[in-house]
Amino acid sequence: MPRPKTTSSSVAFEGNTTHLKSSLRSAFLPSHLPAANAFIGAGMARYLGRLLALLFAASICGAVTIPGPVSDAHRSAASELFDGSFSSLEEAYEALRVFEILAIGNKPDVSATACKKVVENLGSSSPVKDLFYALKVNGILKCKVNADVFKDIAVRLKATVTDASTLVDMYYSIGSLVLIKDQVSDVDVLLADADGTFHSIKALSQSDGRWRYSSDNPESSTYAAGLALEALAGVISLASSEIDLSRVKTVKNDILKLFDSIEKYDDGTFYFDEKFVGGSEHQGSLSTTSSVVRGVIAFASVISGKVNLPGNKVLGLAKFFLGIGIPGDAKDFFNQVESLALLENNRVSIPLVLSLPETVYSLSKRDQLKVRVNTVLGSAAPPLTVKLVQAFRSDAKDSVIIESKELQYDKSNGIHVLEVFPDNVDVGTYVFVFEIVLHDSAGEKVFATGGQIHVPIYVTGIIEVSNAEIAVLDSDLGSVETQKKLDLAGNVVVELSANHLQKLRFSFQLKTPHGHAFKPHQAFFKLKHETKHEHIFVVGNTGKKFEIILDFLGLVEKFYYLSGRYDIELTVGDAVMENSFLRPLGHVDLELPEAPEKAARLPPLPVDPYLRYGPKAEIAHIFRAPEKRPPQNLSLTFLSLTLLPFIGFLVGLLRLGVNLKNFPSSAAPATYAILFHLGIAAVLLLYVLFWLKLDLFTTLKTVGLLGVFLMFVGHRILSHLASASSKLKSA
Amino acid sequence: MANKVKRGVAVLLVAMSKLIFVFLAFIPLLCTSFSPERPSDRRVLVLLDDFAVKSSHSLFFNSLKSRGFDLHFHLADDPKIALQRYGQYLYDALILFSPTIERFGGSVDAAAILDFVDSGHDLIVAADSNASDLIREIATECGVDFDEDPASMVVDHSGYAVSATEGDHTLIASDDFIKSDVILGSKKIEAPVLFQGIGHSLNPTNSLVLKALSASPSAFSANPKSKLTSPPSLTGSSISLVSVIQARNNARILISGSLSMFSNRFFRSGVQKAGSPTKHEKSGNEQFFTELSKWVFHERGHLKAVHMQHHKVGEANEPAIYRINDDLEFSVEIFEWSGTSWEPYVADDVQVQFYMMSPYVLKTLSTNGKGRYFTSFKVPDVYGVFQFKVEYEKLGYTTLSLSKQIPVRPFRHNEYERFIPAAYPYYGAAFSMMAGFFILTAVHLYSK
Repeated sequence: MPRPKTTSSSVAFEGNTTHLKSSLRSAFLPSHLPAANAFIGAGMARYLGRLLALLFAASICGAVTIPGPVSDAHRSAASELFDGSFSSLEEAYEALRVFEILAIGNKPDVSATACKKVVENLGSSSPVKDLFYALKVNGILKCKVNADVFKDIAVRLKATVTDASTLVDMYYSIGSLVLIKDQVSDVDVLLADADGTFHSIKALSQSDGRWRYSSDNPESSTYAAGLALEALAGVISLASSEIDLSRVKTVKNDILKLFDSIEKYDDGTFYFDEKFVGGSEHQGSLSTTSSVVRGVIAFASVISGKVNLPGNKVLGLAKFFLGIGIPGDAKDFFNQVESLALLENNRVSIPLVLSLPETVYSLSKRDQLKVRVNTVLGSAAPPLTVKLVQAFRSDAKDSVIIESKELQYDKSNGIHVLEVFPDNVDVGTYVFVFEIVLHDSAGEKVFATGGQIHVPIYVTGIIEVSNAEIAVLDSDLGSVETQKKLDLAGNVVVELSANHLQKLRFSFQLKTPHGHAFKPHQAFFKLKHETKHEHIFVVGNTGKKFEIILDFLGLVEKFYYLSGRYDIELTVGDAVMENSFLRPLGHVDLELPEAPEKAARLPPLPVDPYLRYGPKAEIAHIFRAPEKRPPQNLSLTFLSLTLLPFIGFLVGLLRLGVNLKNFPSSAAPATYAILFHLGIAAVLLLYVLFWLKLDLFTTLKTVGLLGVFLMFVGHRILSHLASASSKLKSA
Repeated sequence: MANKVKRGVAVLLVAMSKLIFVFLAFIPLLCTSFSPERPSDRRVLVLLDDFAVKSSHSLFFNSLKSRGFDLHFHLADDPKIALQRYGQYLYDALILFSPTIERFGGSVDAAAILDFVDSGHDLIVAADSNASDLIREIATECGVDFDEDPASMVVDHSGYAVSATEGDHTLIASDDFIKSDVILGSKKIEAPVLFQGIGHSLNPTNSLVLKALSASPSAFSANPKSKLTSPPSLTGSSISLVSVIQARNNARILISGSLSMFSNRFFRSGVQKAGSPTKHEKSGNEQFFTELSKWVFHERGHLKAVHMQHHKVGEANEPAIYRINDDLEFSVEIFEWSGTSWEPYVADDVQVQFYMMSPYVLKTLSTNGKGRYFTSFKVPDVYGVFQFKVEYEKLGYTTLSLSKQIPVRPFRHNEYERFIPAAYPYYGAAFSMMAGFFILTAVHLYSK
């Protein structure tokens, strides 16, 4: 594809090698998570890429920013998502549970319809799964259910537990029994052979900590591990006698093995993913992770000892759930919220989330650095101190600007504040390293704080622009032709003119609020020809000063030998520069030599779509002009002139004294004479009619008939006249 | 035993042939492209990198579902996906929300997707920084060139969205929309649209591709983490963030440089553009993409023309031939698909051409506001085989191209003007001679 912008041009100023180096560096810098991925093997990248897409899409910032705890946005999204209509009790339970966890007040009232369904499902011999969710809904709504019903169900469920061959059946029936135990006190739900049940579930486990769904299904699954752990927890709580401790210990080991297979992102996010593809139902990483969390926490809550999981992994799981943002799917939402609720209060390790309401700080507004520490659902953390271990520039690790400072705790708002930035904090991007120190040292076993937390911080400020100067130089001597000072803050524009033997020099200075030289990310000098062809140059810096010299002699080819007016624009911008600007500087009239024949053609410019369409100009046909005709009076005059000879003829005849004395006197010749002349008159009349309306065929036909008649009568009268005259002569 | 097997095979064959017959009967129902006859029959295949996108972008999908689209979600590398079966397309439109996919599963590849578009189907492609070569290839074929640097993003230090947690100015608030009511709806999009992703430029030789959302003049496309040493290949308002294409067969394509633009997070997020005091409660993303998807899926801007008629002034029937200088009346009815029904299309720039090699008459049609367009004109005094042509091209609308052939003859011999005053002297001369002849015959024969 031809690109209108020429990248090679910069070589003239920057040098080829530096250009190459920087592009290589940028290609391999794992600065951005997805960026790093593109260079991992294809399969791996695909796998990770999917999840990254999730994280990336969900959180506005893909970088290392820490997601905050669940907030009001979650609550409003929940009331939008769960609108009170549900098709199954499973969905009803999910909605009710989310409302319960998030403590949403104005929830839709579904208790009447849901309870009706619960009673229906509990009464009939419905499948275990429906029973399970009916009991779960009942646990929240406390529907009025006859106690006898529970007894019947308990008996049925116990039978199912002993008969069940698949993990899912066991999970639902044991889960249901646990729910009955919690809801009704006088029903006997204890398992007689808890040890055997425990064993039959444990028998499905694999060496890597995952579980199989059933004994005849060889594929192991992480999701199933979660179900199994929850079922085992149920068995322990339903056991009539103590479960063998060694068995519990092996399960603990299984959990540790399962956590060895945990997946990880660079920013310390941990999650579980289903390895095998092609199973009956594919579970996403969210449902897999939440299943494991549910299982592990349920198991940890029923056993006497503690499950020793590394705190950073638990925190990583919390990060995973929070990093998803607000899922738009009801099931995902439920999984996320329920898992977070379990992490909020568990016996393994409670993650504390350190979040910054802002990571962009303005020096000009004198912002305060604020840090918030909460549990995952946003409730207050135990008494603690946030320590700023150190802060350094993100591009230079050794330039430590702040070292070990404790943040003040603002009780009224529940935030930790760094009152003022130290004086040596200039504009730029920094990495702040925080550490959470719990006041109660025993809490370290209960809470997961995640050690040192790196947070990228942007410190912005107003950059002072000064000493802007634009000049046209003579090439060989370097003497200044015209020089103009510019105030870049104002609106003054310059008008310059130059030819191809001259040079254009433009320079300016940038200073940070602390008076240091500042190098912005973007410093573009743009020349734009009338024809919309643009040329962009990066303004390089030499020490404190930014300067660009355009030698037009070397640029004529790049400019396609286009003389004329070039508008000059300067763009200076940086992420930490609050007054980034795009400013027209004026224009320069360039006189370039004529293009040689071999010169490169101008690249095509995109067509303006607004001009391409639209109505065309109307076209009206120009008809042939009618031929010029003489005025009617002239024709009439000539008509009368043409009649003159006829009149002259008549006058002549009268003058000659014509008469009709020769007209035959006898009857028969007289009749023929009259008929003959009537015939001639008829032919003449026919001519008139032919002129007026008749066509040639009718005329010829009639002429034929008349001709025969005329011949006959003509012959008669003419022969009569001839004989009369011959008689006269002979006489 | 052998008999039994034979019978079993026969039964099986009959059953299979029945099945095939039933399937064949249903094939026409598995509709193909947008057609004026069955415009509401819309099946959409959505290919994702991860099913999580289905949930994180649910607002966009729900808006499609609520408008009656039948969405089929698949992973992009699902080996079971197919666009067509037995030569019939299974879907009417395709949404590619899989920016990182290197190879599609099943029989789908870039060529298959382009064939899909070539047969008049619609396509939505969302790329992102690190877009795969496959996605880039599809975009290039559509006239859209993504920045070649895979790590590059669109950065705008003047037009970024103010955010407390977003410091690198890659989250852009853009409000440079295409000026077209048909593409973006008649309601103005008040809030800027949030964008975070890779920029692209339009191929200048492709005149079908349009910038639906452009970057501001201060934007540029580069890796935000690395220092700039050479001018970026894409700068200023030539960077397109979202582009739309209407192919010559009226297939419509939407290409976005950002997948997160479609996400619930961006749909719900508030937005404040840097330097602007107004803070909008909600970004323009939802409105932008709802309206844009309406356009892409032909719920707006799809025209059909019917009842193209012409006749002589004062007559009702269409003649087989016109004579030069006849006065004629021409009319055509144009309707626009609104998503549920055909509504009269009202515009003042529909034109008709009376065309033989080049237009002899080109006239703008008047409308009655109910879809009927009409005009009257005089047949030019040139005879030959003409065409009535309605070639309607308008930004965002489907192209109408209608023509109707009609011959034009010259005057017949008896259709010329007669009794011209200028000929009176000739008439007078002839008739006076005839009268003279009559008198002369009488005088000659009978005078003594």
